[in-house]
Amino acid sequence: MKGYPLSLVSFVQIKNSNLAEAIETSLDLINYDFSKDIKNIVIKPNLCYYWDYSTGQTTDPKFTAALINLIRTHTSPDLNISIVESDASAMQCKYAFKMLGYEKLAENHNVNLINLSEDPYETVNVTAGKCSFKIMVPKTIQEADLKINAPKIKYTMEPIKLTCALKNIFGCNPYPKKYRYHSRLEEAIVAINKAMKFDLHIIDGNIVSGIQPRKLGLIMASQDPVAIDVAAAEIAGINPKTIKYLKLASKEDLGNTTYIPKGESISQFKKGYPRKTIKNKLMNKTYTLLIRAGLGKRLGLE
Amino acid sequence: MKTVKLGIIGLGYIGKVHLRHSLKIKNACVSATADLSKKALNKAKKAGVKKTFTNYEELLKEPEIDAVIIGLPTHLHLQSAKQAAEAKKHIFLEKPIARNIEEAKEILCTAKKNSVRLMIGYPLRFNTTFRNLKKELENGTVGEAEITHAAYISTGPFMHRAEAHTPIPVPEWWFNKELTGGGALIDLGSHIINLLRWYFGEITDIKSLLGYRYNLNLEDSATCLAKFENGTRAVINVGWFSQGYQLKVDVYGSVKNTTAQHAPSNPILTVFQTLTRGISEFYQPHYAELQYFVNRVINDQSPSPSGEDGLKDLEAIAKAYKNQIRLH
Repeated sequence: MKGYPLSLVSFVQIKNSNLAEAIETSLDLINYDFSKDIKNIVIKPNLCYYWDYSTGQTTDPKFTAALINLIRTHTSPDLNISIVESDASAMQCKYAFKMLGYEKLAENHNVNLINLSEDPYETVNVTAGKCSFKIMVPKTIQEADLKINAPKIKYTMEPIKLTCALKNIFGCNPYPKKYRYHSRLEEAIVAINKAMKFDLHIIDGNIVSGIQPRKLGLIMASQDPVAIDVAAAEIAGINPKTIKYLKLASKEDLGNTTYIPKGESISQFKKGYPRKTIKNKLMNKTYTLLIRAGLGKRLGLE
Repeated sequence: MKTVKLGIIGLGYIGKVHLRHSLKIKNACVSATADLSKKALNKAKKAGVKKTFTNYEELLKEPEIDAVIIGLPTHLHLQSAKQAAEAKKHIFLEKPIARNIEEAKEILCTAKKNSVRLMIGYPLRFNTTFRNLKKELENGTVGEAEITHAAYISTGPFMHRAEAHTPIPVPEWWFNKELTGGGALIDLGSHIINLLRWYFGEITDIKSLLGYRYNLNLEDSATCLAKFENGTRAVINVGWFSQGYQLKVDVYGSVKNTTAQHAPSNPILTVFQTLTRGISEFYQPHYAELQYFVNRVINDQSPSPSGEDGLKDLEAIAKAYKNQIRLH
């Protein structure tokens, strides 16, 4: 695959709750150095609805704060850092930033909070597979020298199955009614990643959300979003080959479906991840089918 | 027997719940609904409601309507309830009765002046488990209730479920204290305070400790210490912070301890109950309270929980907001 000669993915266990040390180790393991020339940095956490970090659904502001401190230590304390997120069908950034602790983080660490849905943008034409999209690329993202993705590892609805690095960048799409893409979501995820290529992906796997949240104490890092997603899928017990958008992303030169693991063994994290049982899978499918059939409210499920 | 013709004002979350159940209750029919959302009105039409309005004032002009069910946001309770009373419609009003005591008094005054029945929606009073606890307390099997722990912990207005196909946005008014009158204490606390007042009589003193986990200008949790006129002391915990659901009352009496709780049944059971009975166990109290309201209207009797109950609950809540405990 072009552009990613070495798809290194690091796995680091957080020790003594020291997030900064674990993040630094994860970057050392993939031989990542922050360039001294960087002026503008964008960090994209995963803010999902108004669920806080304890649910494993959203990136912990403590993780983001540790990352900010690390970047400033390695570059310059005067760097312009923006934390970005966009409005979604059921989430307004202004409330998510406040409720999930990012407003406090911004005050304490002198960083900007940018709602990409309110940012000026440029429209670009992108194809992914057989689909064409007009993607709005926000100015803050265009102008960043370094773009860092800070996703979570989560299950999501079929056929996507996994939310991690590539899916988190889908959240940079400023258009709020994101469910409109759901009929061709796999292609849309890839198209948005093509339009906004992120340089570094660091997973906050301290608390993960499987069938329930669990403290896994994991930090992962890679420059390859496909490779890190493949590794995340393996941890979550999903066969990466069954995730079509990973295959498409690789085909579209976004990354490799194979990787070189660095750091600790993946097996301990696979063992600790709260995976779906057959019963969960059956229940989930039934539940999803009933809700999709519009019977959720009528049957008292929503 | 007379059929009560109902108008439903507001088809948001609770309005839809009321519509669903109103269509099933005996001796009543839903004549009209009003909401700003045309989509919601179309759904109501499909469900069999003949008349729909985007302005509830038009609904109130309908002479055939005997009573209205108001499920609007709290800041619209005063205006809508007053107008309904002036239009001589009996009123079923969602809790809390209003944002503050002044508004609640105005609603009560207008209802009285126009001789219409006013009931406040507190479904816990119609829940079999909580009704059984009331019986236990009344027949003496618990002895004297010395201490009570009550908890109502849920997602509150942040109820979107990860599994839902279409995400559910939180209506903007929920974030605005001016429009809600408060946070979890007025929203969930009103249920518990109303229930405990029903069990133990009026509150003689109450203090609160509020939580702000989500950094909003309204509390997302509250712990209250309350004393009732019968001497019972209560610890009340309410919160919007959890994806888990807990609605439970523990009573520690001089003879025995007892517990009542309302828990959602598992999805399979819920589907089974809905298909076989038309209503799941979880929503049975919502159905029962509407049936009760309709029966009271037919028999020309005052309903309970009444508007006065709603006011007393709000007075206790106002006192709790005023008497805040600060811990460091």
